[in-house]
Amino acid sequence: MATITDQIKVMSDQRPMPPWYLKDLYRYLSAFGILTAIYMGFRIYQGAYGVSTGLDSTEPAFEVYWMRLFKFNVTFVTLFAGVSWGWLWFTRDKNLDKLEPKEEIRRYLTLTMWISVYTFAVYWAGSYFAEQDNSWHQVAIRDTPFTANHIIEFYFNFPMYIILGGCAWLYARTRLPLYAKGISLPLTLAVVGPFMILVSVGFNEWGHTFWFREEFFAAPIHWGFVIGVWFALGVGGILLQGVTRLIELLDGLEEAA
Amino acid sequence: MSANLSNRIFRPYTGEKARIARAYDYLVLVLALFLFIGSFHLHFALTVGDWDFWVDWKDRQWWPAVTPLMGITFPAAVQAVLWTNFRLPLGATLCVACLSIGTWIARIFAYHMWNYFPINMVLPSTLLPSALVLDAVLMMSNSLTVTAIFGGSAFALLFYPSNWPIFGMFHVPVEAGNSQMTVADMFGFQYIRTGMPEYLRIIERGTLRTYGQVAAPLSAFFSALLSTLMYALWWFIGKWFATTRYLKRI
Repeated sequence: MATITDQIKVMSDQRPMPPWYLKDLYRYLSAFGILTAIYMGFRIYQGAYGVSTGLDSTEPAFEVYWMRLFKFNVTFVTLFAGVSWGWLWFTRDKNLDKLEPKEEIRRYLTLTMWISVYTFAVYWAGSYFAEQDNSWHQVAIRDTPFTANHIIEFYFNFPMYIILGGCAWLYARTRLPLYAKGISLPLTLAVVGPFMILVSVGFNEWGHTFWFREEFFAAPIHWGFVIGVWFALGVGGILLQGVTRLIELLDGLEEAA
Repeated sequence: MSANLSNRIFRPYTGEKARIARAYDYLVLVLALFLFIGSFHLHFALTVGDWDFWVDWKDRQWWPAVTPLMGITFPAAVQAVLWTNFRLPLGATLCVACLSIGTWIARIFAYHMWNYFPINMVLPSTLLPSALVLDAVLMMSNSLTVTAIFGGSAFALLFYPSNWPIFGMFHVPVEAGNSQMTVADMFGFQYIRTGMPEYLRIIERGTLRTYGQVAAPLSAFFSALLSTLMYALWWFIGKWFATTRYLKRI
């Protein structure tokens, strides 16, 4: 049976679309999918080449399989930071005073999505690859700061969650009136504190120059990372700020079925 | 803008408003899941660290003292936000469940499947019974003081007995190389860790061994004292981080 133009219109109307307040749902899910593919790809790469080429940094193969990856990571995160932060800044809303309540509600949900993607990157950096770092340094002699796990953990994962945290901060600052009028302290703490974890890499590596082969995870040279991650608790304040404003907005919204 | 939610009178939303609120709840749930797996796990791995990674570090002196002390931190901070503002009695259980998810994934896919440590050597301990009791004490008492004293103590005291069914079998004695040791010790000697040589293993130091079977309960009561203080400290740390202030400049 032939399909006529009217039927096509009806079919396209029936395509499931998220409601207006979840306009960015598919982008949000796509971000999770892309990040999952990247991080799992890294883990598969480590499984394939970690033992065969990643145990001795003086081997030519180490230069090919790991130092090239390091250079790629640093280049990629630098470009990604510029593109994502630049896009958020140059597409900012310059008429925040005229923002409709419904649009503001939608943006609060989108901000929550941004923070959620940020915390997803925090998961991979702070949980999986962090503990994996300990396990790798139990089987590999640490003869370089650029070990097969550090290249991914310190030079992709850490910058990536910092960039995504910066994206969340910029999104709020450029698209939501309350965050544009004042600088949210909890959002800033939740982004800047974990950024200090990257800075602590310097302290960590400096400390390990004294202890060539030891990997004692609870040692004080690792506590810079610990203090940095405490600031993630600032998300509690972001939640309170968001909930309070959303209640005000929802209370003022016309009842719809 | 005031964020004192506890003084507000709420009417349940209906229709689209209810759907928006529910959508926001789900987004926050996903956010919280990854936030606490990532942040609490990093805190835990770098403070409790090897006492949780390795079966031969799970001794009677340090493991029951350090683990609850560092494990009560995030639960107290999250309870301070979720209970005070939302009357959700699940802050501790949420944190500890997230920690368990993170540690199990890392132990299986990193320690076992990448670096070939036997999974029995790297089993994570559990704080779930402790966290459930901590949440229950806060819910029933609605008191920081009562929860710090009784909940904090229970959190530490329950740790050793709730883990004993998991790890007891590794503490049976064996004789190898004319020495008596535990099965857990054997794991450590058989599976070489280049980064964690024997001289780094911090277990049963001094003369605590002479206390025999009371060493573990003694450590647990010491941990109970410290956890009581740590709970109160981290409650206020959690409240401080959950500020709703906006600044003019940074």
